[in-house]
Amino acid sequence: MNSIVLRKEIQRKIDQIKEAYILVGIPSYNNARTIGHVVKAVQAGFAKYFPDRKAVLVNSDGGSTDGTVEAVQNTGIEDYQSIVFTYRTEPVLKIATPYQGIPGKGSAFRTIFEIAEALSVKACAVVDSDLRSITPEWIELLLKPIVEENFDYVAPLYHRHKYDGTITNNVIYPLTRSLYGKRVRQPIGGDFGFSGRLANFYLTKDVWETDVAKYGIDIWMTTTAIANDFKVCQSFLGAKIHDPKDPGADLSAMLNQVVGAAFDLLETYTDIWKGVNGSEAVPTFGFQYAVGLDPITVNLDRMIERFRLGVKELSDIWKEIFPKEIMDFLRGVDTARDKFYIPDEIWVEIIYLFALAFNKKALNRIHLLKSLTPLYIGRIASFVIETWNSDAAEVESKIEKLCVIFEDKKPLLIKNWL
Amino acid sequence: MNIFQRVIIEPFERFFEKTLLILPNFLTFILILMMAIVFGMALKWIFSKFFKIISIDTFFERLGTVELLRKGGIKDPVSALLAKLIGWIVFIIFAILSLGALETTAVEKLLEKFLLYLPNVFVALLILLFGYLLSNFFGRAALIASVNAGIKVSGLIGKAVTLTVFMLSATMALEQMGIGSETVVIAFAIVFGGIVFSFSLAFGLGGKDIAKDYLVKKIKGEEKNDDISHL
Repeated sequence: MNSIVLRKEIQRKIDQIKEAYILVGIPSYNNARTIGHVVKAVQAGFAKYFPDRKAVLVNSDGGSTDGTVEAVQNTGIEDYQSIVFTYRTEPVLKIATPYQGIPGKGSAFRTIFEIAEALSVKACAVVDSDLRSITPEWIELLLKPIVEENFDYVAPLYHRHKYDGTITNNVIYPLTRSLYGKRVRQPIGGDFGFSGRLANFYLTKDVWETDVAKYGIDIWMTTTAIANDFKVCQSFLGAKIHDPKDPGADLSAMLNQVVGAAFDLLETYTDIWKGVNGSEAVPTFGFQYAVGLDPITVNLDRMIERFRLGVKELSDIWKEIFPKEIMDFLRGVDTARDKFYIPDEIWVEIIYLFALAFNKKALNRIHLLKSLTPLYIGRIASFVIETWNSDAAEVESKIEKLCVIFEDKKPLLIKNWL
Repeated sequence: MNIFQRVIIEPFERFFEKTLLILPNFLTFILILMMAIVFGMALKWIFSKFFKIISIDTFFERLGTVELLRKGGIKDPVSALLAKLIGWIVFIIFAILSLGALETTAVEKLLEKFLLYLPNVFVALLILLFGYLLSNFFGRAALIASVNAGIKVSGLIGKAVTLTVFMLSATMALEQMGIGSETVVIAFAIVFGGIVFSFSLAFGLGGKDIAKDYLVKKIKGEEKNDDISHL
């Protein structure tokens, strides 16, 4: 696939800009409703925190038909004085372009990395286009650790509703932490800061035809940064409130892409994660405060029914990867709403056994990953029931316990990995 | 003496002469047959090593073929299976050639017909093998997809897909072998068309409310069940 910077109009823009100090990328697809707010926040962030630095905003779009690109081009801050006392007079430089390659967030990021490389930027950030809670401070918090403290990767840290980010809380955070030994709380948060050096490093990897080109990009960026010894930190950004995800987005495909990318990385960095014991905190920036979050509706009966259906129909597949004890447990789970429970220990073993089956190619990998969905839904139902009356701190302590079990059971993965 | 000569000795001599005539051909037949066994075994050994060197098992593992074979009760590695197949093909070809060495008119005619028909059998067997593998693959893909979509009759859907793909391959195999080619295709079309028609009727009559609900939801917007954001 050709580089985006080879396209004439982009090349012309890059020749005009020549080079920049900071760059913020916004991947988008039909986000006309929300992207204006995000663009304003980014522009205000440039004005307030980097007034004397050359800054570029890049919108990498997946072919929106609702006027997203026009919204980016036409959005500006008319009254800077309402935000800052002293402000930049030069306009914020913008590049809005459709990306190339497999449709997905990862391909959009690739375009942002390529433009960052062409402009030799010092620091970059990417923020989601559906954010409602982004403020100018996010730009400072994602970029300043790189510009002033020489970090290479800034992961976000948010206050989220206890049932928001369930793949993160139940799979990706505990798994990444136990494997690579760094407590990056939101490894697939979606809003990251990274150095120009790291952006260039990402571009050296040949992953753009895999799940990394889609939802797998976030876990890939975080893991690549950690596993290759780049300096990693996290910044507290406040609440994460975003538009509901596209209702057409299939949970199974999302889970497949994220978990598949994480398992692929296990194969890439086997020598690294095998040598890691326990985990350590990473430096955290930002002032932490409590925030109120909108309540979330959960349909538990439907989730339990999905799990029950999975056990009934997919047992023949699972018994090829699970030992008898796990199969007996799954078949014996009481699906009455008040008794439904999948313990942490069983869940951790399920994830590790899936990783091992992926490694041994015990099943076709797409079938394997997609067959995880009913188990994941069951686990989330159990998590919701367990934490129904818990506050944020209690839920966090439950996730912490889960992480410790992931770390304790890691020898199971090390011992059986090929 | 004359009677004895005519009844016993002369027929025996004729038999002996004929046997002497056939014997070289028969010995050639035995020799070629033995060569068939030796060549078959040698090629099986050579290809088995060659397939291991080029890691053909890993390739088929990636394709998902190994797992499908395992599900079908075949536990040998693909490299061994292919090597065996090559060995058997070589043996059968030599065995057929050895039959030709007998130079018997009836055998030759039979052989000619058999030789002409043989490629059809191989192609049919290949179609059946791939049909079996594909039917399992698609059947399971359909099963998992329907479970993830929350469809209660997922098992039935998976089995229906498996059966349909296998029936299609079986029809193609039979057609390849020329066994009631038109009848088989027509029978398949009738059975398959019948199944689709039955489903249409069943859904149309039995599930008209479900269809209505589905269309209303699609047109007026999906009913929100929960707000969990997974990523």
